[in-house]
Amino acid sequence: MNCESVTKLIPLYFYGELPPDEEDSLEQHLETCAACARQAESQRALSAALDRRALEPSAALLAECRHDLMRAVYRQSAIVGRVGNPPPIDHRRPHKSLPAILADWLPSLGPWRMPLGASALLALGFVTARLTAPGAAGPFSLASLTPDVISSIRSVQPAHDGSQPGEVQIVLDETRRRVISGQLNDSNIQRLMLDAAHDENNPAVRWASVDLLRSHSDSSPVRELLLNRVAEDPNAGVRLKALDGLKSYTGDPEVRKVLAQVLVHDDNPGVRIAVVDALTAHADDKMVGFLQGVVGKEDDTYVRRRCMKALEDMNASAGTF
Amino acid sequence: MAQDAPGAVGARLSPKLDEASLIRAVQRGDQDAFEQLVRAYDQSVLRLAVNLLRSQEDARDVFQEAFLRVFRSIDSFRFDCSFHTWLYRIVTNICLDYLRKRKVRKEEPAVVDTPEGPLDRMNDFEEEAAHADPERNMWNRQLGQRIEGALGGLTPRERMVFELRHYQGLRLRNIGEILGTSEEAAKNCLFRATQKMRAVLGDFQ
Repeated sequence: MNCESVTKLIPLYFYGELPPDEEDSLEQHLETCAACARQAESQRALSAALDRRALEPSAALLAECRHDLMRAVYRQSAIVGRVGNPPPIDHRRPHKSLPAILADWLPSLGPWRMPLGASALLALGFVTARLTAPGAAGPFSLASLTPDVISSIRSVQPAHDGSQPGEVQIVLDETRRRVISGQLNDSNIQRLMLDAAHDENNPAVRWASVDLLRSHSDSSPVRELLLNRVAEDPNAGVRLKALDGLKSYTGDPEVRKVLAQVLVHDDNPGVRIAVVDALTAHADDKMVGFLQGVVGKEDDTYVRRRCMKALEDMNASAGTF
Repeated sequence: MAQDAPGAVGARLSPKLDEASLIRAVQRGDQDAFEQLVRAYDQSVLRLAVNLLRSQEDARDVFQEAFLRVFRSIDSFRFDCSFHTWLYRIVTNICLDYLRKRKVRKEEPAVVDTPEGPLDRMNDFEEEAAHADPERNMWNRQLGQRIEGALGGLTPRERMVFELRHYQGLRLRNIGEILGTSEEAAKNCLFRATQKMRAVLGDFQ
């Protein structure tokens, strides 16, 4: 093996792509040839440098990609159907009635038929209660009984007194992705949106819900939500969005009271500035003393200046005497 | 010497699940089976697209386009190669198209100059680099620029072979199969790619 052939084989050697005999020959050459050994070291260093630039997509990016993909797949299926005329798939089967489903299950159950049937009814009732959004989501889908539903066992316990020996009761939580469409002025849709705006695990959902709901701030539950979010939401973006929804109500004493509290307590200067703007958009002489108090305590220079400017616009002095 | 990237590629299906059955279910129109199949491979597909294209937006597009193509054309999959190879043929073809288009329109680099200094547009990604060491960050940034330059000097095909071997840990034989070429041609590509990069990055290693 000469230096020229070794040079060509070094990358393959490094990536473990050489047959064992060639690898042995190459290693023998490297032991005796300093120039080739340096090349091998250069290859190793190159690889180490490139390793440091390896990118690992974030879990959030992967989740977004999955979500977008499945949305596209469902949308495509809904519009054109699956390519290639496949036979009907499970979730497209005509829905059977609950008694019909149970009738399908029960014959094979033999002596367990009635007690297990009763347990199944109980469990179904539980699942139905958890999955049905009354009036908003349409009837409970029996497709949720198929194995494609994500289930987790909430509890396992012996069945009630008087049941067959050995009978157990398993309570399942089942979740299924559903799409619910409707008008924002539909009370059921609005109720779901109000719930979503409190989803503590997902600020993006809260933000989007508040963003959509703020156009309905004439509804008293929505206004209450906006007040709650501007004061309580841990995410400044959501608080700002809620504040935006309250702009038409900055003359309302209750709204002003909450906003004044936010101006004093909110830790985000951007939110505090937006609150100053909202409060001073409505002429109110009672604000003078309050704003003077804020000027005296406010740490953030820009918020303080904004308050002072508001006081100046009200022909009031920034300080108290 | 370097081995295959640990766990870089390959189905993450539970051993109990038979991939062939899953594919047949997808061919019958079962979208849930499709989702399971996607989840077995999607992480490695996204990793390939991200590392190859160095752009989250392009990687997202490639991800969606590739799996939608799989969904649309799975009926034509005849089990005459592994699903992994078939999927990667689709993914690499799309990625190569992206790379070729970039070559034509002189793609913007991953590291761009700003008034505040060089900005690595890939910093949004999770990296193993230490964040707290400014000296190392500076070195990494300079190295990053050089690496981007070196990778940019490769032809799309060299780039692809290198990515599949170095970052995805695929064997050259498999890479040849995916790219519709021979193992020997893949070897030559890898050699050219490493030579070019060593020439550019020599003093930085």
